[in-house]
Amino acid sequence: MTKRTEISVTVNGVAKSTEVDSRMLLVHFLRDEQGLTGTHIGCDTSQCGACTVLLNGEAVKSCTVLAVQADGGEITTVEGLGDMQNLHPIQQGFWEKHGLQCGFCTSGVMMASVGLLQQNPDPTEAEIREALEGVICRCTGYQFIVSAVQHAAKLLAESGSNAVDQGTVQVGEGS
Amino acid sequence: MAGLVGARIKRKEDPRLITGNGNFTDDIKLPGMLHAAFLRSPYAHARIKRIDVSEALKLPGVKAVFTGADIAKKMKAVPAMWFVTGADLKPKPRSPLAVDKVLYAGEAVAVAVAEDRYTARDALDLIVVEYEELPAVVGQEAAMQEGAPLVHEDVPNNLALVWKAGEIPDEVFEQAEVVVRQRLYNQRVIPNPMETRAAVAQYNPGSGEMTIWCTTQNPHIHRMVYSEVLGIPESKLRIIAPDVGGGFGAKIATYTEEAVVGCVARELKQPVKWAEERSEHFKATTHARDEVIEIELAGTRDGIMTALRVKNTANLGAYLSTFGAGCPTIDFGLMVTGAYTIPRAAVVTYGVYTNTTPTDAYRGAGKPEATFQIERAVDLFAREIGMDPVEVRRKNMVQKEAFPFSNPMGCVYDSGDYHLTLDKALEMIDYQALRQEQEELRKQGRYIGIGVSTYVELCGFGPSKVAGAIGFQGGVWENSTVRVHPSGKVNVYTGTSPHGQGTETAFSQVVAEKLGIPMEDVEIIHGDTQSISMGWGTYGSRTTAVGGAAVAIATDRVIEKAKKIAAHELEVAEEDLEFSEGIFQVAGVPGQARTFQEMAKSANFAWNLPEGMEPSLEAQSFFDPSNFVYPFGAHICVVEVDGSTGQVELKRYVAVDDVGRVINPMLAEGQVHGGVAQGVGQALWEGAVYGENGQLLSGTFMDYTMPKARFFPTIETAFTETPSPVNPLGAKGIGETGTTAAPPAVANAVMDALRPFGIKDLDMPLTPEKVWKAMRNGGSGE
Amino acid sequence: MQIEYTYTFDIPREHVWKYIQDEQVLKKSLPGCQSFQEVKEGVYHAEMGLSVGPVKGLFTGEVQQVDQQEPAFYRLLVRGKGKPGEIDAVADMKLEEEGQGTKLICTSQVQVTGVLASVGQRVMGGVAKLVLGQFFKAVDKEMKQLMLPS
Repeated sequence: MTKRTEISVTVNGVAKSTEVDSRMLLVHFLRDEQGLTGTHIGCDTSQCGACTVLLNGEAVKSCTVLAVQADGGEITTVEGLGDMQNLHPIQQGFWEKHGLQCGFCTSGVMMASVGLLQQNPDPTEAEIREALEGVICRCTGYQFIVSAVQHAAKLLAESGSNAVDQGTVQVGEGS
Repeated sequence: MAGLVGARIKRKEDPRLITGNGNFTDDIKLPGMLHAAFLRSPYAHARIKRIDVSEALKLPGVKAVFTGADIAKKMKAVPAMWFVTGADLKPKPRSPLAVDKVLYAGEAVAVAVAEDRYTARDALDLIVVEYEELPAVVGQEAAMQEGAPLVHEDVPNNLALVWKAGEIPDEVFEQAEVVVRQRLYNQRVIPNPMETRAAVAQYNPGSGEMTIWCTTQNPHIHRMVYSEVLGIPESKLRIIAPDVGGGFGAKIATYTEEAVVGCVARELKQPVKWAEERSEHFKATTHARDEVIEIELAGTRDGIMTALRVKNTANLGAYLSTFGAGCPTIDFGLMVTGAYTIPRAAVVTYGVYTNTTPTDAYRGAGKPEATFQIERAVDLFAREIGMDPVEVRRKNMVQKEAFPFSNPMGCVYDSGDYHLTLDKALEMIDYQALRQEQEELRKQGRYIGIGVSTYVELCGFGPSKVAGAIGFQGGVWENSTVRVHPSGKVNVYTGTSPHGQGTETAFSQVVAEKLGIPMEDVEIIHGDTQSISMGWGTYGSRTTAVGGAAVAIATDRVIEKAKKIAAHELEVAEEDLEFSEGIFQVAGVPGQARTFQEMAKSANFAWNLPEGMEPSLEAQSFFDPSNFVYPFGAHICVVEVDGSTGQVELKRYVAVDDVGRVINPMLAEGQVHGGVAQGVGQALWEGAVYGENGQLLSGTFMDYTMPKARFFPTIETAFTETPSPVNPLGAKGIGETGTTAAPPAVANAVMDALRPFGIKDLDMPLTPEKVWKAMRNGGSGE
Repeated sequence: MQIEYTYTFDIPREHVWKYIQDEQVLKKSLPGCQSFQEVKEGVYHAEMGLSVGPVKGLFTGEVQQVDQQEPAFYRLLVRGKGKPGEIDAVADMKLEEEGQGTKLICTSQVQVTGVLASVGQRVMGGVAKLVLGQFFKAVDKEMKQLMLPS
C-alpha cells in the first residue's frame, strides 16, 4: 500500500486533521474524502481549470496539487463561496447573466474569476478574457461568463468588499 | 402567469450548480462502491495473443479483473441503432471489450475493479497483454483502396455503406455555363464536453433490478439497448441521467463501457463506478465529421445555381457507432442544397471503416457538413462569375412566398423568411461600408475578409414514420406527463434529457404561463427512465420543438380537465368559463370563480367530481410531429489575417437566427454563443490528428485546441421569429445553429481575406501555419 | 516521425567505428541505462529509464546493429516497450571523415504508441535530440577515456 501522511487543513472555514495517501491529489481529497463534489475534474493535464479552488486565497488547480502540499493551508471551494441565502457576488453574476449552461466547468470558472477580481477589482473585457485562459468552457462561448464577471465586479464595487473575503460559508462538521 | 414565454428569465437550474450542489455521475457515492478502470489498446490494429492478469489480481485492493473473453460470456455485443436503408449497410456490433483483435488505439481490452480509483488504475499497469501488431489504415480514401488493410475481414474495401440520393447525368454539367468543382475536407473533430463520460451501476441480486447512472443524452435509448445487451428486462433496468455536463452528441451513443460497468456490478454484487479520464475520453468517446466532400456545382453566368452533385467519403471509424451511419447520409445528404432553390441535386456517400475511434453525431450531425459544402460552393461560384457572394445568395434563396418548400431531396421546409435574416445580418454588420473599408485596408497591406453563410437545418426529430423509413431504430416522438399535486404544485415529466440547455427553465415558462401559476410551482423531471415511461432524448434540436410541444399539449389537457371540474362546481357550462392567470371565471359574473389550485385539490380529493370523471389532475401527451422543423439564418463575420504570421483574428461575428418562437431569449443567445464558439473552433483551431500508424496525436488539451475566452470578440446576435406550423409552440430548434453556420462563415471570410494571394480554398482548421504557408506559395497550405 | 541528429567527434573515424559499437561504451553512455547485455551477436537487451515531457517510464527492449559497412555506415533497430507505450525505431548511422575528426549523421524513423504518442509526440522531437545529444557527448567522453594511454 502507498504511504499515508497526516495533514491538517482548513476547508471552507472548518479545520480538519486527517490521514491521506501521499499521492492523493487535492481534488480527490476534496471530492472523495470530504464529499465536496462541487469541484469537478475535466481533464488530466491541468488545462481545463474545472477543479480550480482557492488555496490560501489564491486560485489553484486542485488536480495539480497534492493533498499533502495543502497541509497547513486554507482551502475555499465553491461550497464555501456562498449558499442560496448568501450568494457570493460571482455566483450572483453567473446566475443573473447566464454565465453557465451545463454547469460542469462553472465552479472552477467562478473560482478563477474570484482570483482575478481579487487582483483586479475592475477588469476590462479584454482582461477578463485573458484571465480566463486557464479555464475551458465548452457551452457558453464565454460571452455571458464575461458578463457575469463584469456584473460581479460591479456588485463588489457597490458593497466595497474584497472578492475573497466574501467567501464565508462553512461546510461540514464543526461549522 | 402571463409574460413568461418570450421573457429573459434566470435559470431554475442555476442555484444548485453555482453552489456546488449539482449531482453529476462522478459525484455519486454508494455504500460498498467499487471503482473500475479500463485497459486500452496502445495499437490501432493488433491481434491479442495473450492477456495475463495474475499480477494485477495480487495487488491489494483489487477485486477482479475481466478480459474481453471473460466479459463476452456475461453480456452481448452492443449494436448500432441507425441502419440507414438502401445503403448496403454492414454494421459491426461491438463486443463489450475487445476479444481477439483491437481495431483502434484506445479500444478497451480489460477492466480492473478495485476498492478505490487509484488502485484500479494501478492494476492496469500490472496487466500484461501480448499483441501482434497489424497494419493499420487511418484515412477513409486510403481505406477504400485495393489492398488496404481490412478493419473487418469480411467487409471488402472497408466499405460499410454506400448511400445514394438523386441522380444527375454528366450532360447537365457538360452543358452548364459555369461549373465549380472543389474537394473540401470537413476535418475530424472531438466534441469534448467538459464532463467526460461516467457510470455508476447498482444491482440488486434479490430482485434482479439494475440501476445505471450515466452521462447520457437519451436514457431511454440506453435502457432499450443495455436491456438487450445485459439481458435485463426493461422493466427491471433503470437508467438515470443525473446532471450531465454537456454532450454535444458525444453522449448519444450507447457505448460499451457503461454496459460493462453494469455487467461487473452484477458479477461482483457490489456497486461499481467508472469515471473516464480526459485522455481516455479523447480516444474512447466518439469523434465526428471527418468527411471528404467533393462538389460539382453548375450554374449560369448571371448567378443562378442549377445543379449540385456531391460525393461524400466519410470516415466512420472502427465500428459503426449508435447514430454513426445516419450523420453522413440522411442528415447530410437531404440538406445539401441548403437555403437555395437549386432544382437538381445528387449525393453519394461512402461510409468507410478505418482503424480510428468511431465517429458519430456532434452538434449538428451532418447538417454542418452539408452547410459547409454548399456555402463554400456558393462563394466559389460567386468568385467564378465575378458576383458579390451576397448577391448570389439573394438570387437563389427560397422566397418567403414559396413555403412550405420542397427541396430536391424531398424535405419540406416548414416556414421561413430567409431574405429577412440575411438583410438583417447585412445591416448589423454594415456590409457596404465594410467592403469599402476592406478595399482601403488592402491597399495598406492589411488583409480583411468578410464571410457570409446562410443556413437551413433539419431539426426537431421528427415524425416517427420518417424515422422508420430511414432505418432509425426507434421512434422520435416525445412524451410528457403533467402531474398536479393537491396543493396545485406541478411536476412535469419529459422524455427529453437536457444537459445544459436550460430546459427546466424553458419548460417551466411554458407550463407556468399556461396554468397561470408562478414558475416556482413547476418542477421539470427528466433523465430517469423509472419516472418517465418513454422518451427519445435530447439531440437534433428536438427538445423544445418536440418535447416542449408534448409538455404544452399535456398542460392544455390538464386545463381542460380542471375546467370541467370548475364548471361542475360552479354549476355552469364549460363554455361560460374563461381561464386566465390561473383563475376559472364565469364570464361576466364577478366572484363566480375557482382558482387552479382549488381545482387541483378538488381533482385530487375527488369529493365532488362530474359524473363519470376519474380522480386526480394529471395528463399525458405523446407528441409525434407531422414534419421536422427547419430553423434558418444568416451569419456574417469579419476576420483579419496577419500577413506576416498567418494568424487569423476574428474581429466581428454577427448571427441572425430564426428558430421560430423563442421561449427565453437569454437561453437562445447562450445557445448561439456556444454553438458559434464551437463552429469557429472547427474553422480555425480544432482537429483530431492521427499518425500513420493510427496513434491519436492530438490526445490532450495541450494538443487539441479548445476555444478559449480570449479568442473571441463579442458575438452579436439577433433573432427573427417565423413560427413553425409543425408544433403548437411554433418553436424550431436552436442548439445547432452556431456549429452549422460558423465554419463556412469563417472559412469564407478567410478565403476572402486571402484573395490577393490567389488562394481559393484551404482545409480547416485554418491554423496560422497553414495560412502562412499558403500565403507564401500562393495556394495550398500543405 | 523522422528525427535527424548530427554530432561531430574530434576522434578519427576508425576509433569512432570501433567504440561506438562497444558494449561497455554503450552501457555507460546510454542515458538512463539500467542494464545493457548482448544476448546474441549484434543483439542487445536494454533497460532504460526515459522521460518524454510529462511521460516517464522504464523501457525494456532490444537493440540490434545490422548492415555494418565498416567504417562508414551501420543501422540500428530499436524496439522498446514500457508502460507509457512502445518505441519502434530504425536509425541509419553514417560516419563521415571531417578533418581529423568524424561527423556522425543519425537519421531515424521513429514510431510510438500509447501515451507516448498521444501526450508525448508533440515534444518527442525535442526530447529525442536532447537524449541523442547526451548520448553522443557521453560516448565522446568514454572514447577519449579509452583512448588514453593506459
